[in-house]
Amino acid sequence: MVGPLSWLLASLAVLAVQASVLTLQSPRLTVSSSDAAQLRSEPLSLAHKVTPPVELRATDTLKLTFQIVDEDGKGVQPHQTFVRFYDEVTGEEGIQPVKVTAGGKAKLELNMARPPSSLPPSGKDPIKVSLYLGSFKHDPAQYELFDLFVPPSQPPAQHADEVFFHPRPEIFHTFRPEQKVPPKFVSAVFTLLLAAPWVVLLGLLAHIGPQVPYLFSSGIFPFIATLGAFEGLLVWYWVDLHLGQVLLYGAILSIPTAIAGKRALAAVGERRLGKSSPK
Amino acid sequence: MPAAKIAPSKTAGSSQSPLLSLWKAYYESTSTRLKTIDAFLVFLMLSGIIQFLYCVLITNFPFNAFLAGFASCVGQFVLAASLRAQVNPANRSEFKDVSPERAFADFALGSIVLHFFVYNFLG
Repeated sequence: MVGPLSWLLASLAVLAVQASVLTLQSPRLTVSSSDAAQLRSEPLSLAHKVTPPVELRATDTLKLTFQIVDEDGKGVQPHQTFVRFYDEVTGEEGIQPVKVTAGGKAKLELNMARPPSSLPPSGKDPIKVSLYLGSFKHDPAQYELFDLFVPPSQPPAQHADEVFFHPRPEIFHTFRPEQKVPPKFVSAVFTLLLAAPWVVLLGLLAHIGPQVPYLFSSGIFPFIATLGAFEGLLVWYWVDLHLGQVLLYGAILSIPTAIAGKRALAAVGERRLGKSSPK
Repeated sequence: MPAAKIAPSKTAGSSQSPLLSLWKAYYESTSTRLKTIDAFLVFLMLSGIIQFLYCVLITNFPFNAFLAGFASCVGQFVLAASLRAQVNPANRSEFKDVSPERAFADFALGSIVLHFFVYNFLG
């Protein structure tokens, strides 16, 4: 186990010794308008950004050419070459891979008439353009190339669910107003009106004069009493009792009621038949 | 109460109005027991009508109370009407198996159950 590990470390050390810096040769940027007129063409310096910053109009084209060389001046094709567009203010960024030939030559074209999808949304602030080089054999390199002004992009389309990621307006519930009892006078009038049927009933009964001669006889009265007790129990239920209690008491009360009812109604039936049979 | 106004037993004089003759026939040919039940039915009907008018015209505010009161009137009316139908001697042939005592027992039991529910609703 020690053997392969030490060999790996040794080879890494060799690589570290071999690693060297990649640099750009004759980097150049060109800005041309849509009718192919050159608006600007100048070499880039890796030490400091070009001034004034590069500005592109809606139809201009930016062309960036360079050759990647090692310190011997030989063209190198790094394994990874990226241009990064970064808006420092909004934090938006985009990465554009760059094709590099075997001889290290590279060309990046940015046509604003058809901007690549890697170009981030732009605002008033400049987009910083930088170059990233990655290679197995060389040190990684990063070069700040220039600041770029492009026409501001359209505001991004709002996502359909965007509204759910912000506080919603507060919900105010509206309730139906509390119902009120009518005025005392109206209630009193209708209470009196409800007494009217009782007057009618009592008047009619007095007129008809039904006879209940056996109501208090020993056979009938227990039935009447238990029925009255049932009504009393229900009133008590309304006033005070719980459902379980009233069911229990009702079940108990139902037994004497049934017995008394059977006796009373049997007596009534006998009397009726006895009365009618001689007929 | 259509059964209350069964056919008059005798033909009324032509000078009387039909309604008056109908009333007279009812009054003369109906037994006291049935008249008692009829009085009770009229009482229940009037009570229900007044409660319903109150609900429509004034307020239904304690709605459970209205339901309880109105339902007690309607339910008791139904029970009393069926009692009346079953104890009426004229309907003897229709209720051969139901003696008047049995009808009254049904009436009492139905009333107790109805009143239980009514008090439940009364709140």
